[in-house]
Amino acid sequence: MEALAKTDFLAKDDLPEKPFVLWRPTAKTGLMSWLTTVDHKRIGFLYGISGLFFFIFGGIEALLIRIQLAVPNNTFLTSAQYSEMFTMHGTTMIFLVVMPIGAAFFNFIMPLQIGARDVAFPRLNAFSFWTFLVGAIIVNLGWFMKGGAPDAGWFGYAPLTTRTFSPTHAIDMWVMGLQLLGVASIAAALNFIVTIINLRAPGMTMMRLPVFTWMTLFTSFLIILSFPAITIALIEIMMDRLFGTNFFEVSNGGLPILWQHLFWIFGHPEVYILILPAMGIISEILPTFARKPLFGYPVVVFSGASIGFLGFGVWSHHMFTTGMGTTATAAFALMTMAIAVPTGVKIFNWIGTLWGGHLSMRTPMMFALGFLWMFMIGGLSGVMHAAAPADAQQHGSYFIVAHFHYVLIGGSLFALFAGIHYWFPLMFGRRVSEFWGKLAFWLVFVGFNVTFFPMHFLGLEGMPRRTFTYDANMGWNTGNFWSTVGAFILAIGVAVYFLTMIYTYFRGARTTRDPWDARTLEWSLPNPPPEYNFRVLPTVHARDDWWYEKRHTQEIAREAAEHARAEDAHGGIHMPFQSIYPFCASVGILIGAIGVAVVDPANPAQYPGFWGPKIAVTILGGAIMFVSVVLWSLEGNEGYHIHLNEDGSIKDDAGHAPAGH
Amino acid sequence: MRLFHTFTPLSQITRCAAVLAAVLPLSGCFWFDGPQSTFDPNGPVARHQMDVFYVTCWVALFIFVVVGSVLAYAMVKFRARGEGDLHAEPPEQGHGNPVVEMSLIGASVLALVVIAVPTLREIWYTYEVPVEEKANAYEVTATGYQWWFKFDYPAETAQTLDATAKAVGAPFSTANELVIPAGRPVHINLRTVDVIHSFWIPKLAGKVDMMPNRGNHLWVQADKPGYFWGQCAEFCGESHAVMRFRVIALGPREFNDWVNAQMAPAHRVAAAAAGAGAPKAQFAAYRTFSRNEAGFTEKFDRSPLDSWRAQQLPGKDEDPALIARGRELFSSKTCASCHTIRGDGYIGVVGPELTHVGARSTIAAGLLENNRDELHRWIHAPNEVKPGNTMWVKGYLANNIKLTLEDEDALVNYLESLK
Repeated sequence: MEALAKTDFLAKDDLPEKPFVLWRPTAKTGLMSWLTTVDHKRIGFLYGISGLFFFIFGGIEALLIRIQLAVPNNTFLTSAQYSEMFTMHGTTMIFLVVMPIGAAFFNFIMPLQIGARDVAFPRLNAFSFWTFLVGAIIVNLGWFMKGGAPDAGWFGYAPLTTRTFSPTHAIDMWVMGLQLLGVASIAAALNFIVTIINLRAPGMTMMRLPVFTWMTLFTSFLIILSFPAITIALIEIMMDRLFGTNFFEVSNGGLPILWQHLFWIFGHPEVYILILPAMGIISEILPTFARKPLFGYPVVVFSGASIGFLGFGVWSHHMFTTGMGTTATAAFALMTMAIAVPTGVKIFNWIGTLWGGHLSMRTPMMFALGFLWMFMIGGLSGVMHAAAPADAQQHGSYFIVAHFHYVLIGGSLFALFAGIHYWFPLMFGRRVSEFWGKLAFWLVFVGFNVTFFPMHFLGLEGMPRRTFTYDANMGWNTGNFWSTVGAFILAIGVAVYFLTMIYTYFRGARTTRDPWDARTLEWSLPNPPPEYNFRVLPTVHARDDWWYEKRHTQEIAREAAEHARAEDAHGGIHMPFQSIYPFCASVGILIGAIGVAVVDPANPAQYPGFWGPKIAVTILGGAIMFVSVVLWSLEGNEGYHIHLNEDGSIKDDAGHAPAGH
Repeated sequence: MRLFHTFTPLSQITRCAAVLAAVLPLSGCFWFDGPQSTFDPNGPVARHQMDVFYVTCWVALFIFVVVGSVLAYAMVKFRARGEGDLHAEPPEQGHGNPVVEMSLIGASVLALVVIAVPTLREIWYTYEVPVEEKANAYEVTATGYQWWFKFDYPAETAQTLDATAKAVGAPFSTANELVIPAGRPVHINLRTVDVIHSFWIPKLAGKVDMMPNRGNHLWVQADKPGYFWGQCAEFCGESHAVMRFRVIALGPREFNDWVNAQMAPAHRVAAAAAGAGAPKAQFAAYRTFSRNEAGFTEKFDRSPLDSWRAQQLPGKDEDPALIARGRELFSSKTCASCHTIRGDGYIGVVGPELTHVGARSTIAAGLLENNRDELHRWIHAPNEVKPGNTMWVKGYLANNIKLTLEDEDALVNYLESLK
C-alpha cells in the first residue's frame, strides 16, 4: 500500500479545468451510474446478471435438444435447427455463462478477500465487461438473421467452417464474437493478476491468500496464455472467409488439422479456466461449513498450479482419433493421466477438510458436497478417456457428452450455485431460504444425474454426439427417454433456485454480518459492502484472517485505529472516478464487429469487388473505439476522496466533487 | 437454523427419490447388445480396446468406491446434529498432514500405472496390422463424402470402359456397404473429399477420422461372417446424423463370389418375350413416409445378414420395358452425370457408384432398407430423407429435375434390377 500511496494514483484534490469531453460522470443511481461504473462490485453484479440471462438461453437450447432426442425418429426440430441448438448451447454455456459467472466472483469477491478497495485498473475492468457483452451479442445475432445462428459445433472444426461449407454469416459472427470474448477475458485477466500481485493488504502474503484468490490468479494466467492460441486460429479462419487466404481451404492445400491443434491448445486450458474457479469456491465453502481450515492448503494451491501447468500439455487428447501416430498418442495419454494426480489430490484434501469437522449442512455445503461426488465421477471418466485405445470407442460419443457435463455441471455449475448461495448474504444483505435452497439442490442433483448418467451407456452403445435423430433398433431409446425426463427435472430445479434468488433479492430476510461464521476477509465487511469496501485497510495476520480477527478483537481494533489515522493523513479513502469511455469504446467495437461479420459488401452484380458498405461500417466502429480510448487516456486516472463519520456515513454529502481540505 | 430442522423430513424423501431415480433406468432397460454396442466386440481391435476400457473402468470404480466410502463416512460421522454441535467450540484447527498427502499421491500414481501399461501396449497394437499378419491383410480405401462413404478395392480389377470406350481393367468401387473377408485383417485407408468425417464400426474397431489433406488408416478384422453397423462420428454438417454405413464380413468363398459379381458390369434383364407392351402401372402401390420415419422393417432388423444375402439373388417378375425406360431416364434426368453404372455407359463420379446397387441391403448411406418403397421414398424427395444432400441441392434443385410418378417407378425398377 505504501507504493500505491506514493504514486500518482494519489488523488489530485485540486483538479485543473478540463474540457467538457473529459467530464467525469458522477451519477450514483440510474442507468448512467451503471454505464459509467468502475466499482468492481457493480461490474461483478453485471457479469453475474448477464451470465444468468444467457443461462436461460443455453438452458432452453438444451431442453429443445432433449425434446428432439426424447424418442427415436423425432421431428420436433429439423436437422439445421438442431445443429444451431447444440452449437449455441455449447458456445453459450462455456463463454457466456460459466466464464462470466466466474468473472462475477473474481470481480466481486477477490478484491474483498485480499483487502483491496478495487481492482488495479477499474476502467479497464468496465471495458472488459462491456466488451464481453458485445461479444455475446455478436455471437447471438444470428438468431435474428436470415442465415441463422452458428451451426458448426462449439469447436467449429475447419473445413466445415470455411466459406465453402458454411457460406452464411453465421460463422462470421461466431468467429468475431469469440474473438471479442477473448479480448474481454484477456483484459480482465491482466487486471486480476495485477490486482492480486499489487493490491494485497499489508500482511496478506501470497501463502495467506484465500484459495479462491489463488484460483483466480491461476485462471487469469491460463486465460492470458491460452487465449492467444484461439485468437490466432480465429484470425486465420476469418482471413480465409473474408479475404480468401488458404489456412484451412483444403482445395488450396490448407491444413484443417492446424485448426484442431490451435483450438485445443486453447480449448483444454479453457476447461481448467472453467473448473479452477469452481475449485476455489469449494475450497472456501468446505472450511467454512466444516468450521476448520482447509486441509493441506499449500498442497491444494500447488496442485491448482500443476493443473494449470499440465493443462497446456494435454490438448491432443481431444484428437486421439485424428491419426496422430503412436508416439504422440502415447505421450498425450500419459500427460493426461498425470493431470489426474493433482486433481485427485484436491479431492483428498477436501475430504481431509471435512474429516474431524462439525459439518453444518446448509445449502452451500450441500452444493459443495454434491460437487465432490459429481466431480469425482467426471474426473474418473476423464481418466478413462486418457486411455487412448478405449477413447477410440468413446470419442465423439455420448460417453464424452456425459463426461464433460459431469465436469461442467456437476463440477463448475454446482460450485457456482454453491458460491451464489454462499456469498448472497454478503452481496445483497439478505439470507436465502434454506428450505427452497435445499429443494433446489435436490431437484438439480437428481435431475442432473437422471439426465447425464444414462449418457455414459448411450455412448458405449455407440450413439454419436451431435446427431439429430436415431433409429429405434439401436438400443438407445430408454437412455434417451430418461435423459429427457431428467433434463426437465434439472430445469425445474434450476428454476426453483433462481426464483428463490430473485425473491430473496427483493423480499428476503435481512441478515447480520458474517452469517455463516466464515473465515476470510470479505466477511469482515458489512453487507452489502459499501462502495469503498474497507473503512480501514486491514492488516492480515493469518491465513484465515477473519477467523483470526474474530478471536483477537482488541489487537485488531488497535491496529485499525492506527491505519485510519495514517490514511486520513494521506487525504482519506481514495476512490477512482467513474468513466463513460470504456462503454463508448465497446460500442465502437460492436459497430466495427458488425461491419466485419455481418455487413455485406456492395451488390457484386452492380459493383464487383466493391466493399464500400462493409469497410465504412468497420471504420466507423474502429474510429469510435479509437477516439474513446484516446479520451479515456486523456481524462486521466484521477479519483476523489471520501471521509467518513464515526458511524460510517460519508462526510461530504456529494462525495464525488474533489474533496475539500 | 430453524429452517434447517424443519427441512430434514423433506430432505429424506428427496433422497429416497434420488435413489429410485438412479436405480430405475438401470433395472435392465439398457441394451448392451445393440447393433453399435462397444460391449460386443466382434474382432481383435475392438476386443483389445474393450479390454483397456475394462481396466480403466475397474480402476475407476475401485477408486470411486474407496474414496466415496471415505467421503460418505466423513459426511455422516462429522455432521453437526443439532444446535449444540453448531455452537460448540470449533473443532481442532488442523492444517493438514504431509504423510497422508504423500501416500495418497503415491497411491494415485500406482493406480495410473495400472491403466498406463495396457494403454501403451494397445496404442501400438490397434494402430497397425501386426507384422506377422501383414502379408495376409486385405486392403480397401474408404472415402468420406457429405454424407456417404465410398469404398475402393485396389486389390481387385473390374472391366470398365475408358474415355475412348475401350475396355480396360480398373479397381472397382462400391458405396456405403463395405464387404470384407472375415478372419483376415483389413487395412482401410481413410480419405475425405470435403470436411472431416470419422469412420466408426463400434463392433470392429474404434473410430479414426478422415482428415482432409492427410492420409489416415485403420485396421479391423471380423472374427466371423457378420453384418455390422457403422456411422460417421465427427460432426460433418446438416445430415451428419444420417451418414451411416454397413460392414459385411463374409467367409472366403462367399467373399470371392461377391467380388466376382461386383467386377461384372451391370446386370441386364433380358428383353422380354414378344408381347411385352407398355409398362405395367404399379406405382400406386408405393408407401408414403413421414419425415425421419425409420427406414427398416422388423424382418430386416432380425437377420440383416440374411437380408443382405437375399438381396444378392436375381430379381423376380422384372419388367424389361420398364427397366429400359428407367435406364433411359437415368441419363435424361442427368443422374448419370454423378453416378457410375458400369456396362450401361454411365460414368459420373461425384455420387455413389450404382453398378450393383440392387444387391446392397441398404440405400441412402445405410439409412434405408433397400426395397422398392424406400428407394421410391429416397428418389422422390431426397431432402426429406437427408436434409441438404448433394443430390437434392446440386442435382434436383440445380438442374430443376422433376420426376413424375411414372418416372420414379421406372427408375425404381431399373435400380432394383442392378443386382
